[in-house]
Amino acid sequence: MGFDQFVADRLDRLLGYATAITCDKHLAQDIVQNVLIRAQSRWERIDKMDAPYLYVKRMVTNDYLSWRRRKAAREIAVERAELARHAPSMADPADAHAERDAMRARIAVLPRKQRAALVLRFYEDCNDAEIAQVLGCTESTVRSQLSRALQTLRTHELARSATLGAHS
Amino acid sequence: MNDLIRRAIAAEAEERVDSRTVLANLHKAKKRKPLGMIVGVATLTVAAAAAAVIVPTTIKKTDAAPAGAPASKAENVLLIGTDDVGNTDALMLARFPADGQAALVVSLPRDILVDEIRINGLFAQDPKKLTDAVTKTTGAQVDHWAAVEMAEFGAISQALGGVEVCLKAASYDPITRASFPAGRQTLLGDRALAFLRQRHGLPNGDLDRAKRQQAFLVGLASQVTKDKAAALAREANRAIRVDDGWDVLEFAQRFSGAMGISVSTLPVGEPVQRTTGYGYEVDPAQAQEFVHNALGGQDKSGGVDCVD
Repeated sequence: MGFDQFVADRLDRLLGYATAITCDKHLAQDIVQNVLIRAQSRWERIDKMDAPYLYVKRMVTNDYLSWRRRKAAREIAVERAELARHAPSMADPADAHAERDAMRARIAVLPRKQRAALVLRFYEDCNDAEIAQVLGCTESTVRSQLSRALQTLRTHELARSATLGAHS
Repeated sequence: MNDLIRRAIAAEAEERVDSRTVLANLHKAKKRKPLGMIVGVATLTVAAAAAAVIVPTTIKKTDAAPAGAPASKAENVLLIGTDDVGNTDALMLARFPADGQAALVVSLPRDILVDEIRINGLFAQDPKKLTDAVTKTTGAQVDHWAAVEMAEFGAISQALGGVEVCLKAASYDPITRASFPAGRQTLLGDRALAFLRQRHGLPNGDLDRAKRQQAFLVGLASQVTKDKAAALAREANRAIRVDDGWDVLEFAQRFSGAMGISVSTLPVGEPVQRTTGYGYEVDPAQAQEFVHNALGGQDKSGGVDCVD
């Protein structure tokens, strides 16, 4: 597949993925653009791989997880933490959107790698092996990242239900 | 709860920017002309940052280089070659004496373990983690670092019209399917890259790769001439990042005459398997003595001949 075709097929999905892991559409755009420019200059090689999309996704993920992006990620986390604190009290538990947005705010404050694993599982529908490939770690690390993320989200969910006196 | 997570993530992803905007930007990037023939000090400065690999040779052969104020002290620079996803493929510790007469370079196999962790992932996490690990292993202080994406060496070799290397025997890479004949040969572009990257199908894997990187470096240095410096600086400019505190211009001033590069490789034992992956363990006392001697110019084995 040529580079242009790859971009036509996958760009929107890549942007969605990058936005979900970064929780910042502008940062996501910046990362995806940079990665695609780099990928283009060596497309011949990437195209020969078994799974070019997975590889480009790995480039995107590593770019985000690298030290260069740490500061940006921290700023977003602080902003979202603020949001997460206020969300439960403002939310109407009967409102599905409010419930979803509260969850969104909690996902946004997870550690970066845990969130990436979560997005790969629940947005990209990757299995453990694929997630391991994208994150560049072992499958057992993937499982522990996911279970830690779910554990955190579950604890918060319970606390929130209790505060609101709701049973969800 | 999983369904709620799914909906929350989908809502986050919904926020993405319009892909047409990105597409337009990509087209713009494609059309952008390569930089003009502006070889100002700024460009040279960045080329200088390619430090070592390219650098000393570029600067010394270019008139625009600032005339030699005496450089203050010898400096150790960690040269880092990274792959597409940010892992370290090549790692060299180079010592540049104050007089700029010769660079002493020690290759550090990227699979060595420090505190049971392979060092090839440290740079992406935090450059300081890598420089700390190198200091811990070698005992040598790291004054500065310069990182180059390995893929750029394809373009760099192209700009130079090829880099000559010599192979002891023909080789074949089962991963990239690149094959190289025995003997002297000039490598360009993707071939240069395949040569630098190969570790499968070589007698000593990553250790042979380190030897190839050294051979390429020495071949590269010998290729740089005054009229090629401009093109080289342009390629280098795109490809290199250095640490924030490094005044590369000041650094570049020490290079005025011909410079030799002497290379060696940190010796390691057999690979070992750890829970964090396989790698080479290094005996700190031995490593520190080796690096001390090599960077002090005591190790005279330094030339590069044919490699595997």
